[in-house]
Amino acid sequence: MTITSYLRRAYSSFVAHVFDIPARFMAFLLFLTLLFIPLMGLAPFYLSVLIQANVLAIFAASWDLLVGRTGQISLGHAVFFGIGAYSTAILSSTVYGFGLPLWVTIPIAMLVGSASALLIGFPCLRVKGPYLALVTMAFPLILQTVIKWTPLNPVFHGENGIKIGVPPLFPFLSIRPYNQQRMAEYYFSLIMLFICAVIIYKIANSKTGIVFASILDDELASKACGINTTKYKLMAFILSGLFATLAGALQAHFSPRGADPSTLGLTMSFTPVVVAFLGGIGTIYGSIVGAYVYTLLDWFLLRDLIPRLLPSIPYEARQYLNLLIFSLLVLIFVIKWPRGVARFTTDKLEDLEEARDLDERGPRIWKRYKRKREKSSSI
Amino acid sequence: MHLLEVENLTKRFGGLTAVKNVSFQIDEGEIVGIIGPNGAGKTTLFNLVSGFLKPDSGTVKLRGEDITGLAPHKIVNKGLARTFQVVRPFHHLPVIANVMVALKSPRGARKIEWLKTMERKAADLLEDVGLSELALEPAENVGHGTLKRLEMAKALATEPDLVMLDEPFGGLNPLETEFLTKSIMRMHLDEPARGILVVEHKLYALMKIVQRVIVLHQGEKIAEGKPEEIAKNKMVIEVYMGKGM
Repeated sequence: MTITSYLRRAYSSFVAHVFDIPARFMAFLLFLTLLFIPLMGLAPFYLSVLIQANVLAIFAASWDLLVGRTGQISLGHAVFFGIGAYSTAILSSTVYGFGLPLWVTIPIAMLVGSASALLIGFPCLRVKGPYLALVTMAFPLILQTVIKWTPLNPVFHGENGIKIGVPPLFPFLSIRPYNQQRMAEYYFSLIMLFICAVIIYKIANSKTGIVFASILDDELASKACGINTTKYKLMAFILSGLFATLAGALQAHFSPRGADPSTLGLTMSFTPVVVAFLGGIGTIYGSIVGAYVYTLLDWFLLRDLIPRLLPSIPYEARQYLNLLIFSLLVLIFVIKWPRGVARFTTDKLEDLEEARDLDERGPRIWKRYKRKREKSSSI
Repeated sequence: MHLLEVENLTKRFGGLTAVKNVSFQIDEGEIVGIIGPNGAGKTTLFNLVSGFLKPDSGTVKLRGEDITGLAPHKIVNKGLARTFQVVRPFHHLPVIANVMVALKSPRGARKIEWLKTMERKAADLLEDVGLSELALEPAENVGHGTLKRLEMAKALATEPDLVMLDEPFGGLNPLETEFLTKSIMRMHLDEPARGILVVEHKLYALMKIVQRVIVLHQGEKIAEGKPEEIAKNKMVIEVYMGKGM
């Protein structure tokens, strides 16, 4: 009896908390969908695309923590991504004699990433606004040049990059078939994304997050409140670098290309910008939804559908066509939904909510639960 | 020892000397007003004292400690808070979170007594300036008069020894002016040792609350004294009304 009452209470509190706000409800649905996607029997290729979306979501969320929440514009976030990718690759590849497992390399990479964020943040935060954007843009390019430098080829392998073989993710489970391995990787990246999203959400809504938002709004007024803004900006830089490094480390592990100079490229720096703008800046849903929209557009529209529709166009020309179509799509998205797809949806839902009576709020399950409660109280 | 001691403060912008050899003192528990026509250098003087501008020469001392040219946030943490002439709220944050930013500063955090959470302290501060009902409203949705009061709450959150109010009555209607006058007086009564420095254009409202007035004209201090004396001072009248009155 006690167990059933406990379960019922747990269920009702679950319903009340999870289904209370439409935005939360949407997030829950999104998470459920992501949880069950691999069970639909997708080919390993599709799973690897989704893994990339998860990695991108972490990357975009880390960028958003710095730019959307603290207002420090960074156009060189690839520097952390690249540092994460290279440090994991060096640590886990057997070429260098380390050959460490993923559970060790990722935390070390994150430490390296936050240390480099501290080093990069110090000189960068002396400048503001567009100047900061330009200064940050230089760092990944410098690092990329260093890595491509011929005398260092024995260490970094130049353009080829460092490849990590596919080690079993959970050695104790001995998942051998390739498909199962991909699925394990997918779940690992999804769990990582979930953990990062929760941590970033908690940071943004904490008291430190309030200070971050005050710097975003008006740095001078924040100083007049006695806040050492440099300290908080550096903190945002380090936290952001930490999560970006994690994304880079995951990329090095799960992408067949491993760590190569493209992880430090300009494209990689601008990807989180596009993703965050697609989804909506300053929200955690925005980064996740944006990453999925971006990846799905990229892979299924540009690399799959268009070659099928226009088979006569040669590969080189298609590259440019893809870029053109993608830019146009991003343009349309940003004009149509300037606050992002995710924000647009949650705002619409909240408007609907307000339009309805307060008693009638929430999805059907919530209403049913309420009705049940009323019945039991009347008896 | 004076609470605030300003000695020979000078600031030049290119060829223009905005503040020229200004010296004055404020003692504990005093309410002092600074008046002067437009361009007299009142706001520049304010920025020099609060660290937003670095003076070319001269010193600023708070309780005998030299604070000349320190960073603004360090000066706030030493006990000198200011408000802005043009309100600068954090637009995206709720009203109560605006106050919590100031409570997150080292001095603000120190002044939160034991067992009193930051939220409760922030709510108390909002109640003092009469903003309890708007606590959860985003700052971008509330009116100008309210934001002026929010500025005061933000300045008071660090429990400063000296508060500097830059045109607190600017853009307020008579009713709001009266309300703000009352809350400044209450601020004075709550903490009798606290000094208050007010820069203001609305002389009528100012003269009612201050104990001493400093008059600036073209960057120089031309008069200092009790409000009644200043109102009769020939030089001050000349500056405000022109010669031959």
